[in-house]
Parts: sequence; C-alpha cells; structure tokens
Amino acid sequence: MNAQTQITEVTSPGETREMSYAEAIRDAMTIALDRDPTVILMGEDIGTYGGAFQVTLDLIDKYGPERIMDTPISELGGAGVAVGAALTGLKPIFEFQFSDFAALAMEQIVNQAAKLRYMLGGEAAVPVVFRMPAGSGTGAAAQHSQSFEAWFGHVPGLKVVQPSTPEDAKGLLLAALADPDPVIVFEHKLLYKMKGQVPTGYYTTPIGKAAIRRTGDAVTIVASAIMVHRALEAATKLAAEGIEVEVIDLRSVRPIDRDTIIASVKKTGKLLCVYEGVRTLGVGAEISALIAESEAFDYLDAPIQRLGGAEAPIPYNPDLERAAVPQVADIETVARRLAKGEV
Amino acid sequence: MPVEVIMPKVDMDMARGTLAIWHVAEGEAVKKGAALFDIETDKAAMEVEAPASGILRQILAQPGQVIAVGSPVAYLYAEGEAVVGLPSAAPETSEVMAVADPAPAIATAQTPAQVADEAGDLRATPVARRLAREAGLALAEVLGSGPRGRIQRADVETALARRELKATASQALQSPPILSYATQNTPPLEWSPQPGDLHVTTRKGTGTPLAMIHGFAADSTGWLALERALPRDLPLIRIDLPSHGRSPLRRLAGFADLAKAVVQVFDRVAEGPVHLLGHSLGGAVALALSDIRPRQVRTLSLLSPAGLGPEIDGAALNGIARASTADSLAPWLKRLTARPDGISHDFAKAAMLARIDPDLRAAQQELAQVLFPDGVQAFDLTAALERVTAPTLMVWGRDDRILPWKQALAAPGEVALHLLRGVGHVPHMEDPDTVAALIGRHLK
Amino acid sequence: MTVQDNIPFAIRHFSPAALREALRKMHLIRLFEEGAEESYMRGLIHGTMHLSIGQEASAVATCMELTDADKITSTHRGHGHCIAKGADVGRMFAEFFGKETGYCHGRGGSMHIADVKTGNLGANGIVGGGLPIAVGAALTAKRLGRDDVTICFFGDGANNEGAFHEALNMAAIWKLPVIFVCENNKYGMSTPAAYATAVPNIADRAAAYSMPGVTVDGNDFSAVAEALHIAIARARAGDGPSLVENLTYRWRGHSKSDRNRYRTKDEIEDWMTRDPIARFRAELIAHGVLDTAEAEAVEAEAKQAVADGVDFAKASPAPGIGDVTKFVHAEVAA
Repeated sequence: MNAQTQITEVTSPGETREMSYAEAIRDAMTIALDRDPTVILMGEDIGTYGGAFQVTLDLIDKYGPERIMDTPISELGGAGVAVGAALTGLKPIFEFQFSDFAALAMEQIVNQAAKLRYMLGGEAAVPVVFRMPAGSGTGAAAQHSQSFEAWFGHVPGLKVVQPSTPEDAKGLLLAALADPDPVIVFEHKLLYKMKGQVPTGYYTTPIGKAAIRRTGDAVTIVASAIMVHRALEAATKLAAEGIEVEVIDLRSVRPIDRDTIIASVKKTGKLLCVYEGVRTLGVGAEISALIAESEAFDYLDAPIQRLGGAEAPIPYNPDLERAAVPQVADIETVARRLAKGEV
Repeated sequence: MPVEVIMPKVDMDMARGTLAIWHVAEGEAVKKGAALFDIETDKAAMEVEAPASGILRQILAQPGQVIAVGSPVAYLYAEGEAVVGLPSAAPETSEVMAVADPAPAIATAQTPAQVADEAGDLRATPVARRLAREAGLALAEVLGSGPRGRIQRADVETALARRELKATASQALQSPPILSYATQNTPPLEWSPQPGDLHVTTRKGTGTPLAMIHGFAADSTGWLALERALPRDLPLIRIDLPSHGRSPLRRLAGFADLAKAVVQVFDRVAEGPVHLLGHSLGGAVALALSDIRPRQVRTLSLLSPAGLGPEIDGAALNGIARASTADSLAPWLKRLTARPDGISHDFAKAAMLARIDPDLRAAQQELAQVLFPDGVQAFDLTAALERVTAPTLMVWGRDDRILPWKQALAAPGEVALHLLRGVGHVPHMEDPDTVAALIGRHLK
Repeated sequence: MTVQDNIPFAIRHFSPAALREALRKMHLIRLFEEGAEESYMRGLIHGTMHLSIGQEASAVATCMELTDADKITSTHRGHGHCIAKGADVGRMFAEFFGKETGYCHGRGGSMHIADVKTGNLGANGIVGGGLPIAVGAALTAKRLGRDDVTICFFGDGANNEGAFHEALNMAAIWKLPVIFVCENNKYGMSTPAAYATAVPNIADRAAAYSMPGVTVDGNDFSAVAEALHIAIARARAGDGPSLVENLTYRWRGHSKSDRNRYRTKDEIEDWMTRDPIARFRAELIAHGVLDTAEAEAVEAEAKQAVADGVDFAKASPAPGIGDVTKFVHAEVAA
C-alpha cells in the first residue's frame, strides 16, 4: 500500500443520518479510532466525564484509558506530549476544554508543532490535531469565550479550520487527522447541539476550501463558524426585500480559500466579513486585504466592511455578551446598506 | 431679505439629491409655485417649485451636483432688492438650519455640500473606475449616487447605457429607422446639419424647398415615409422644434415663445420663400409662421394641425412625453394611428431610443404643461388661419383620436380640406402616398 | 574487594571498540565546536551558537547504550548530543553554513540541529521545549509496544520551566520510558542555578514525581554512563522515568554574545583542569584499552573528519531563494 492511497482515501458516503455537531465529531473520532490504531485522544476529563462538552462521551468504555487518555491539568505539557507523540508515530487528537486554555500551550503549538517540520528541513512531521471549543454565548465570560482563530491562523505550519455544520465538523476532523501536519479545529460551543444530516461512513471535507452556502449577486458575506448561520438568517430576511446575498462559509482560516472569495467578490462587488474574533487584526482583516490585493479590487463597488467582535473581553452580562459579537440584525443592516450603495 | 431655496427632502430616506436642471435662469423672475428646478434622487426625478415669487439669484448648485438635504441651492430676491453677500455656513441638516442665524452679515463664498467631482478629488469605487476606464468614459461626466457623491458601478453603467443608447438613437436618425412604413430601397439622402439654435437639416434639389415642422414629442425622422413618397428632386428643410429631436432643450413660456424660436431659425435658414408643411403642433407653428412671415411662405400644408380648438388628448401627450421605456410608450403611440397594429414594437423601440435622454423627456413634459395645461390647447390660431394669404392645404384623418377632425371646420373657405378615411393623427405615416400626392398637387 | 571493583564501570561494561569510539566522538565534539567557532569568526556562520566545550563526557556517555531506534530531545546547546547520537559532522557543518545539504536543509542552523534518522528529534531553541516532546516520544514507544527509550536532555535553567514539572509528572503517572538528563553547567545564561533553583540538586526534584533522581559528576564519563545504564534499564523494563543530573561546566560563554561578566577567570580555569576528554583518555590508557599512539590516532581521525566536514560544507550548494516556504507543510502530490 502506498502512502498516497492511504491519505486520499475518501469513501463515497451515500447514507446519511441525523446527528448533532457534537455527535458528528464523536462519530469522526470513533471512525478514526477504529481505522487507525495509532490514533489516540488526549485531554482533560475526556474519559469517564466525557469531556467538558460531552464530545468524547462513552469513548473510554469502548477504547479504554490507553487510547482515551485523561491528562493532568497541564495544557502546556499535555500539548507537548501530543506533539512528541505525533513526531514519533502516533496520531493524537488533543482536546482543550476551552480554546482559551490553549494560551497556556502556545509554546508547544506555535514554537514546536508548527515549526518542527520546517526547522528540521522536512525531516520530521507532526500530525497532531488540536480540538478547541471556542466562541461566546454561554455566559462563561472573558476567559472561556474567546475566538483565537486569527492567532493560530497567523502561524505558518499550522492549519486552522472552523466547521459550521455537523457534516463539516466530521469531515474536517477526519481531514485534519489525515493531514500530515498539525491542524487546529475550532468547534463553536453554540453549535454542539445543532443537528444536521451527516454521511455515516468515512469521508473528508477538504481543508482550505470554503463553501458557498447561499448564492446571490448583491453582496458577498464571508463568515465563519456560527456567524455563517447568522449571515444566512440575515440573507433570508434581505431576500424578502429583493437583496440576494451570497454567503460563503470560510471553513478554513489557514489555508484560506482565496479563489472562492475572489470569484464571489468579482461577481457582487461588495464584501462583508463577519467573524466572532476581535475585529481588529482579525480574520476579516486578512480577507479584506487579500481582496484589496487581488484582481477583485477592480470589481469593488463599495468599501469592504467588517463585522467582528468588540474591542473588549467577552463580558458576562447577557446583553453585553450579545453586544460584543455580531448578531443577525447587525449583519442584516450592514449588508443592506452595502447592497443599496449606502456605504 | 432674500428667500432661501434649499434642496428639499422629498423621500423618507433621502439624505441628498442631485440637482438635475434649473428651469429658471439666474436673474429671471419666477412665480411662487412655478417649477424652479428638478432633482434626482435614488428613486425618481422630481420638480421643485419656487418657494416664493422673486428674481432667482446666487445659484449655488449647478446641474449634476449632489446636494445635502437642507442645503441652500439659490436665493430669491424681491424686485429691486439689493443683493447681499451669501449667507455663511450652509449646514447639512435642516435641524441645524433651524437654529442658524438667518441674517448673516459676512459674505463668504460658501458652496453647498457638493462633494462629487471636486477637481482632482473625485470619489469612485474601484469597479466604477475600471468600467469607466475600459469604456473610455471620463468619470467627471458621471454623477455619483453613493455616499458623499461616490460614483458606483450603477452610475457608470447608467452613463454608459445612456451614451450607447444616444449613439444608437443618433444612428437611427442618420440611417433608415425601423419603421414598418419605410422599407423601400431608396438611395441614401445627403443631409447636412445647419448651424443655429434649432437643429435643421436640408436636402438639396431643384425649385422652392419644402420646409417641414414635426409635431409634439416627434422629430424630423417622422417625415421619412412621406419624403420617400414626395418627388425625389424636391428640396427639403427639416426643422426640429426646441426640446425635440436633436435641437437643444429650451424652456418656453408659451406658444408664442415656440413660434418665435422657429421664426428666428427660419429667418436664418430660408434663403427665399418656401413651401411650408406642419403636422399637429408643427402645423400650428407653420400656421403662426405663415402669419408672421407671409411673404416667405409660398404654400402652407397642415396635417392635423393644433391650435384650432380646445380639445386634445392630453393623457396621450403626457403619456408619450413621460414614457421611459418602449413598453410604456407603445400604448400611447397606438393612439396616434387609426389601426392599433400600425405601430409595431420595433417602431416603439426606435421611437423610445430617440427619446432616451431623460432631460429631453422632462423638457417635453414641461412643454406639454405649458402648451396644453389640463389637457386643453391653450393657444388659438383660428384668427391666424383667417389671416393667412398663402394657399393652404389641410389634411386630417377621420379617425384622429388626438385632435378631433371637426376642428378643421374652423378653417375659412379658401382652405382645401381633405379628410382621410381609416387614418388617425399621423396621416403622413399612415398614408404617405395619398398625403404626398395631395401635397405634390398643392405645391404646383 | 576484587580487582573488578577498582575498574570503572565503563571500562568493565563496554567493549574496547565502543570505548575507542566514545573517545573519538568526544574529540569530534570538541574539534567540531572549535571548528565551528573558527568558522563563525571567519564569517562563514551567521546567527549565534551555543558551545558545549567542556561537557563532552555528558553527551557521549549518556548516549552510549542508545540505538538509532532510541530517541533523544536536545537543547540549544546540542551539537554534542547530535554527534554523540551518531550524526555526520559534514552535514552538521553544512547546516551551520546554511547549506541545502545540511541536516535541516539550511532551515534550522545550530539551534535546531537534528538527525531524525539516528533518533535525534532535534535541538530546541525554547528552554524546556523538548521536555514534553520527549514524554510524547516515550508515550509512542509504550503505546506501540516498542522497547525504545527517549533521553531528554535539558539544562539547569529548564528545571524552573513549567514544562519541566508537567513533563516529569506525566512521565511518572504514565510510567513512560523516558530519562530526563539534566546537564547542570551551573548557569542559566548568567543566572546561577544555585540562585534560581530552590533545591540544592536538581535531581532532588525527582522525589516530587516519584522517580529516581541521581546527581553525578558529569565530567566523569563512566559515572554518567553508569547512571544512564541503570535509568535505561528501568525504562526498558517498563518501570518508568528517571532523572539524572550531570554536573558539568561549559568553558565558553552562553553564546557568542556572552561577555563573561558573571564568572571569574579562576573558576573557568579551574574547570578547564577537569577536562572530561583528557580524563577519559587517561583512563582508557591507564586501563589498557588503548595506548598513547592509538589515542592520538583517534584524535587525528576526528581532526580529519572535521576538516573534511568543513570542506564538504563549503562546497555544498545553498538552498534556492524560491524555496523559502518549502518544508512548511508536507509536499502534497498533485
């Protein structure tokens, strides 16, 4: 068997089943654990407890503590063990309880995992997957609600994905596992319960490929994670007014799907980036810049707009918390103004 | 104290408007309620009435400028009132205006909140710039509809469509138009434009020329079918009325103004006496011309002339003047002919192309208001018809739905009257051969 | 007491060929670093480098029992570890010279020198960076049922990093085959270990993680080899990790920018009298493993290897400028 067939194998899914986003992730991990004995899961309270968000529920019963490894509360060390294991032949999926805690492990993720292949001139590989529950909306306040995709997206050597549907949550996680390099999967906490049809077999959703969730010609909205759903809701409302918005689900922050975004903006001439991370120096800045630098520039018919998180930590008060990240009405307002040439 | 004329808010979400055209020149008098200028918003063009009677002075906004709602665009002065310095600080919003000192003392060269197309500071989106660049269109010629006057894609596309349609329309003027009436193979005619205020074209030939004046909302291209039926060597002079065809747009106070404008150009282009032919409004003008310059007119031919009675189908006139698409124009055009199928869709399209300029349509709507207020012919030429000495031919369609043929009964006994069966308001189009034969005999 | 008891462990335990090879590697490390230093001064090497001259016994003795299947994680002062684990000095020089033929194709340099094929997972520019990685490597061995071990080199400075404590704790709770080898050269850059560390010996930390901890004379080849022999046996037996502290001294400054304001000349000269190479060489001759002529031949051999290595590096091609992003990710077949 050659390596190529192993990596690119994608079975035709055919059958689907309704699953929640969390179940789809669990399904992906189950398939991976069954397919590949080198796959292990690591993280805090992922065993009997089932993980902070119950994503790994019951897996320890089937696979045992040697493959479903509870780690001490040692994010830096735990991430580093995962890196070392990946470097030497295992395929660890490391779960952070909250993406915020990855700040404790930045050293291993950014200095080690992302750079080892390069520093060693291609002589080493770190096929580790970091799963990071992210985003606000749960009342967990400033240290349990952040969206760090831009942080990690800034690091060459990492791949960063943000699934917005159960189907992609499974497909992107399996793609992350098949990838020979470190991949960070941001799972939005508010999406864990979202249901959707998910192919039952093994399949991968390509990393680096955005999805057009709705076509339109008036405005392009590039959104990620839960913002995709808010953008779609805004688009439905705007359609009633005759404004057809194209909604692109970014799916992958790094590598970013330049072609899809550029093609859409060339069609609509208007771009709105919607993301939950802090607006300044966020993912929207990159998308804006890539459009400004691309051939799509000459198709722009309005200034590029960004809707991102407030320049503040995520607050506790529920009204403040909502106000700190883009909501449907915000997206609707800005998209409408863009469509009408009022921006 | 002068009365301020402002850019009014005429739409709920209107923040600024584009001043489209002034109907009154600087220094001219205007009555309260008379049309003063037109504005264009995102949604429509709209006429703004004078807020007071007075002399229009200190025009601050030129056509094409984008003005914030509430900003002054001119001032109305009483007769003899001393002109003061321009009020300072023209604020952008009416709220601020309400508390602003109404009697400023210092004259400053304050301009309205004009932002589009400042020298070297033109705002345009990248796609607008690219499209204009690719099409060889100067952005300075494009009106920006976006925030702070920014030129957007739609603005350039509108400008390009207008340019293209104008080119097509003028091409249609120079080549055989798509009339169902005019399909014969005739050699190309040589037309050359004449200088002067009005657009005049001539065809060389031998003998006394026939000068032709078209009707309301028509232009010289309407004569084509008749010209083909007339003798080939008959020299022709075609006159486009003001605000019609390729003549410049002009504000006219009434029929007398119209007649005066035509007399002026007639005096310049007619090298000697002419045969005069007019249709509908052009018939009224020809009649007036014959009355004013009796020695210059050898014969007079009137096709369904206006001015001989109060009745007229005002709705049709307004409908034609207002129509902005071939679809909205066609139903009104069908009223012109006896047979509704006499107007093909291609004809309506060609007619619309000739009227694509919204300024022209606006000017004609206004002219209809002046000449035919409330759907009534506001001028009476029956006395003039009595005075005309030139031999006069009158042709009318019995099925004319615009001007009833019975108005022909106002003609004195010397006038040769021909009432055509199965013909509507445009006999020269509906039955050009008969009309040409009648005119041919009349000229001899 | 038998005669055997007076013979050092290493002499008893290893074959003469292995001991001769150990001496050759120690000379090679010393000569390689001197050669690198000279090349640096000639402008052939840019950046900086951290020399381990004076610490050769620690590197070589620690790696005595390792095979290529066994892993090491190294530190910023890692040239010795790399050579001890079996790397070729020509490719190392090539890496230092930034050449495509270097171990890291010119992307890593001195601070990231590695040789994955001989089990060296790489020097690390982050103090403490290799500690959790070594635990991960040991986890792999255990999970895949292999009996290889991982040696985790780190300095005295790293013992105060959180990663040290997290790594030792996890290695202990999971009983992983990893040996933490602290090369205590007395200074973390300029800060004395005695000042920065709450316990007298870094090996004392082992007690907190329920693993054996031993402090040995790091300049005594045999003492280091013996401590490692015990720790490796324990690891291979599945009994878990150990901590070995090799007391040693770097003759040179922390890096090439060190102006040596924190140590006295006397202290440095005192340590230079405890040269681990001279000591090991004398030991080998004293115990008849080789004679002086043979020892000189070994050194000459190493000298030749260094000279050849420099020539190889000089003659090697530089990477293409267009390949700046090569090796960021795996090359994907189109």
